[in-house]
Amino acid sequence: MTTTDLPVPAETPRPRTELLRTDRLARYFKIGGALSRRTLHAVDDVSFSIGEREIVALAGESGSGKSTIARVLARIYEPTAGQVFFEGKPLSAMRSRADRLRYSGLVPMVFQDPFASINPVFRVQHGVLRSLKLHRPELSAAQCEQEAAHVFEVVGLSPDMLQRFPHELSGGQRQRVGFAQALAMRPRLILADEPVSMLDVSIRIGLLNLMAKLRDEEGVSVLYITHDIASARYVADRLIVMYAGQIAESGPIEDVLAHPRHPYTQLLLSAVPDPRAPLTVAAETDRGEPPKVIDPAPGCRFRWRCPVAIDTCAQVTPVLAELRPGHDAACHVAQTSATEVKAFS
Amino acid sequence: MPEEPVLEVRDLSVDYVLARGNVRAVDDVSFTVNRGEFLGIVGESGCGKSTLLFAVAQLLAAPAAIAAGSVTFGGTNLVGLTEGQLSAIRWRDMSVVMQSAMNALNPVKTIGAQFKDAMRAHGKFTGADVSARSAEVLKMVGIDPLHLRSYPHQLSGGMRQRAMIAMAMLFTPDLVIMDEPTSALDVVAQRSLMVQIKELQQALGFAVIFVTHDMSLISHFSDRLMVMYAGQVDELGATRTIFDQPLHPYTQGLLEAFPSIRGPRVPLKGIPGAPPDLSAVPTGCRFHPRCPYAVDRCTTDAPELYPLEAALVRCLRRQDGSLAS
Repeated sequence: MTTTDLPVPAETPRPRTELLRTDRLARYFKIGGALSRRTLHAVDDVSFSIGEREIVALAGESGSGKSTIARVLARIYEPTAGQVFFEGKPLSAMRSRADRLRYSGLVPMVFQDPFASINPVFRVQHGVLRSLKLHRPELSAAQCEQEAAHVFEVVGLSPDMLQRFPHELSGGQRQRVGFAQALAMRPRLILADEPVSMLDVSIRIGLLNLMAKLRDEEGVSVLYITHDIASARYVADRLIVMYAGQIAESGPIEDVLAHPRHPYTQLLLSAVPDPRAPLTVAAETDRGEPPKVIDPAPGCRFRWRCPVAIDTCAQVTPVLAELRPGHDAACHVAQTSATEVKAFS
Repeated sequence: MPEEPVLEVRDLSVDYVLARGNVRAVDDVSFTVNRGEFLGIVGESGCGKSTLLFAVAQLLAAPAAIAAGSVTFGGTNLVGLTEGQLSAIRWRDMSVVMQSAMNALNPVKTIGAQFKDAMRAHGKFTGADVSARSAEVLKMVGIDPLHLRSYPHQLSGGMRQRAMIAMAMLFTPDLVIMDEPTSALDVVAQRSLMVQIKELQQALGFAVIFVTHDMSLISHFSDRLMVMYAGQVDELGATRTIFDQPLHPYTQGLLEAFPSIRGPRVPLKGIPGAPPDLSAVPTGCRFHPRCPYAVDRCTTDAPELYPLEAALVRCLRRQDGSLAS
């Protein structure tokens, strides 16, 4: 392992150039039968940005809207409201086939399940060569093969793996193939939806190191969707914590972990298993469940599980406000109290 | 409390009988589980942990079969018992919570109907008995008994997993076998489920065998830990001892493979390479191709599992003391 594989510590902030920005993004789903008027607010009023050469971790529990955001950014879903800007231009303006193709090459997605996301009947080169043919038609067949071998080397696979079938590869290798496919398109931003959660703990680190390497050497940004805060801390520059379709807290990852202001972030951090911590079973544990956000009324969506909730929380939806440099939280209690409130520790 | 073994596994080997030859997935594994004990089994995918559990529960299906050894549960050797004889023990004295408990529930039956099936399959009960007991176990895991009438899709992932654990509690068994029951859950649900299991265990006194690939998860919950690699036991000892002073290089690798949310950010390496294919295990120590401390001897001599300090460890260099802590 060379030193270039090591993630850059967050203590050296790079000047940020904005690559992608969402403005009050929302995505609702109609649920129930044809006559039902109920809507599920999967993502509600979400604004954030991703800079160049930046790994942003999007964390939250299942059902918090993380994957929906990735799918909106990948243009699998159209947003219900709000806008996404890429390199300053709104996605809604990219309507032609050429524009859409260009965008999907610049912002590819890597999926969670490495066993389901590669076509088992073709050799693994198939996926890489197809994306090259589609997104970089200027390359000749020989150049395509060269390029495929090159991206395989970048992700740490030997080029002769291109001739293998997916079933001959381990889970970690398959996920590397997923990154190679994305990389072949010369992306600016990779949307990685839980790329390591199906892999063994011993293999995960290798892929996290790969993401850091792609950022540092290839200049690619990554939206790293995960529920594993520890791995997010290992690789990411900034952290966005989602709860019930909204952003609860966001900021530079070390600052958020050292000074979590939103009670949900505190709960999330207290639940991370840490063998280095003393061997005690915490007395207070949260037994709550994430809410189903169907036709929500105003108010904080975490208030039912929140030990420090006040009356305002039931009436007014909190919005993000900057509490520390670059570090925002959407919590009435944190925003109004002078000291740091600890709801969970 | 006197140490009273509930389960005693001796020299257990499991083969997958394939056309191209037998593959030994579990190789000569021995361990005991005492009454009320929590034993964690960790290892990467493909190291034989799930096969071992299936062998203990006598749930192996062809082509897998027990090749040698015994599984003594409550004084009876389970190996070779007929289905009828096993049925008297299963679920009443020993229950299993499967890996994908989320999908292990029948989607077209209510939770209550599935509890009823489980009870009726292992004894004679009146309708009133069944509903009283079902409500009781569901309450034990913190779910409103109202949900006996719910279908699995109406419950969240965490609740489904709890319902599965409730189902395993129906007969207050002596031993509950859990195969990664939390792997599909996010951290908050995972943590609360682990606390729940521990509380139930303390209240009801059953023993737990808990299989996982995530060592950090069970660090706070298990009494003893067994580390498996390529079908063999590499290290077995008290959980705290292993975490404080891992003896086997593989255990060290596993412990260093996950990042922490506390302390300085340090670069990690994980364990290079992949676990071996069990049909072609390396000669000598099975871990030597991935081991940073391997010497020539490790490639030829197969190490024994031998006692060192308070633990058991399978490493030549630990055995002769050439590898210091």
